[in-house]
Amino acid sequence: MTEPATQEVAALRQNEDYCSSCSICSSLCPYEALKKDVETGRITLDITKCQVCGLCYSNCPASAIDILYYDLDSLIKYLERAKQEYASDTLVIMCRGSAPDTAGVEEIFGVSKFIPLLVPCVGRIPDEIYLNALLMGIGKINVLACDEDYCRFDRGSSVTARKIIALNLLLGQFGYEQEVITLKRHSLKVKADANLCIACGNCVFYCPYDAARLESPGGINFDLAACRGCGLCVAMCPAVALELENWEKDRISALITRLAPEMKPPKILVFRCQWATFPLLDEEPSPNVRFIDLPCAARVDNFHILEAFQKGINGVLIAACSEEDCKQNRASGKTQHSMTALSKRLSQIGFQERLHFCSVSPRYPEELDKELEQFSQTIKAIGLKESNL
Amino acid sequence: MIVTTPKPLDEILDYIAQYTNILIVGCDGCTQPPRGLREAKTLGQLLELAGKLRNKDFNFKVTTAAKQCDNYLAASMLKPQINDAEAVLSLACGIGVQTLAEVFPDVPIFPAQNTHFMGAEDREGGILEERCAGCGDCLLAATGGICPIARCSKGLLNGACGGSKEGKCELNPERDCAWCLIYENLKKQDKLQLLKEFHPPRDYQLSGWRVTT
Repeated sequence: MTEPATQEVAALRQNEDYCSSCSICSSLCPYEALKKDVETGRITLDITKCQVCGLCYSNCPASAIDILYYDLDSLIKYLERAKQEYASDTLVIMCRGSAPDTAGVEEIFGVSKFIPLLVPCVGRIPDEIYLNALLMGIGKINVLACDEDYCRFDRGSSVTARKIIALNLLLGQFGYEQEVITLKRHSLKVKADANLCIACGNCVFYCPYDAARLESPGGINFDLAACRGCGLCVAMCPAVALELENWEKDRISALITRLAPEMKPPKILVFRCQWATFPLLDEEPSPNVRFIDLPCAARVDNFHILEAFQKGINGVLIAACSEEDCKQNRASGKTQHSMTALSKRLSQIGFQERLHFCSVSPRYPEELDKELEQFSQTIKAIGLKESNL
Repeated sequence: MIVTTPKPLDEILDYIAQYTNILIVGCDGCTQPPRGLREAKTLGQLLELAGKLRNKDFNFKVTTAAKQCDNYLAASMLKPQINDAEAVLSLACGIGVQTLAEVFPDVPIFPAQNTHFMGAEDREGGILEERCAGCGDCLLAATGGICPIARCSKGLLNGACGGSKEGKCELNPERDCAWCLIYENLKKQDKLQLLKEFHPPRDYQLSGWRVTT
């Protein structure tokens, strides 16, 4: 294989000069991307295996790992900015995968005014951030992590729990109130409406976790302990009987309705899997582009794609993980299949070029930008063609 | 299940070109995937987009019925909604479309799908194949649960034709030879002696056009 002309920029880098080969990173890495070389005793990074969870970054005692997303500097800058913006002294750090809306946070922590901080995994928040936040005058830190067996980064959620116990003990010695940092767990799951269910069994086939069971008599039953909230069953349900908490159909529709008019043509709406690309904390998208984050590309719904077109969006881009990278047991492959089917139908009205499915990964941050750039060109070309008619 | 495929949108647009208020009726019955509320809504959205390109504003309402082929159910579930519509697009198989046309003779009912056969889906590949030809004289007990009428290209009743090659049909190398499958299954069950039983030519009258319950 020939080398690509330009080397892809990776989101994670190991600085060998600082590395003391202590092996904390390799023992934490859920993906065996960091390994100790048995011969040299040095730590090696295989970026192709890395899922950019950041556990290594936040736990490296020698600061030998550089990461593009949510590093110490950008987190501190965000906190400084957000403290003013939200005018609150309560910080709520949430894993994107389990973050409910404001009302949900209020229900869980009993706070209505707070500084939200959404990260791909709370396990990646370095200790320094907790301490810096307290130094900044934040009086209370609430952490919302996924249930341990629901964590898409394998150990992220349990690392958080241990970290918070240790920090609370330490802070207690300094005179802070008990549990200045509070950890709670929350996971977003499927909700079935038995009145709409037609007992077709599609969800039983599609669920990557065998959480759906169809009984006769008895109808559909979800084992919520097994459900990991990918949303594939919701997007595939022929009877529209399922919803995914926090990603309800109406909520996504409302988002499209709000975003479409504020965009400038050519309008490109990106449905992105929250694991396929990590937005930067100071992300400011171009006026042509808006993003809707989904728990997994599997939650992409034909309804919402068509609705976007109906509301004047010129192009819809689906940014998914590759099947191999998918945090939801290869659910993204099923979505690619159904997008191909939708594309075939769109081709009957000449819309096929306006829908584009791509696989990207946060390990190469430029991947999505490149896809977006290329797609923008396609959409612009369609616009020109149409205005010449 | 009854296997259907969506009709091309252009064909549907030609049916409905002269109407504005159209009811799209899904069917939760036997098709795979079921063409229920999701397909009804999706079709409505696609046609609305297509209409805009033709400078035509349609007003679609969508609903679904448990079984469009049940005239009693169809009448009770759809009557109030159909009365407001100028035309109906049915997402049922050909049977459901005809039932609606019978129950609501004053409203034009158009099929949104083509109906193929009674079959089953290999869900992994999204492929659907015919399994039952509705012959009226089921002989699956003698053929290891594999129907030679529906699954042998030639519908042979007494063993393979001689054109079977490596388990595939001589007429279509992608298609499994039904008699090979029958042989393998009977062998597994140690029932190969069943192949010696002679099946007389099919009585086509048994398929019939009407049965009484």
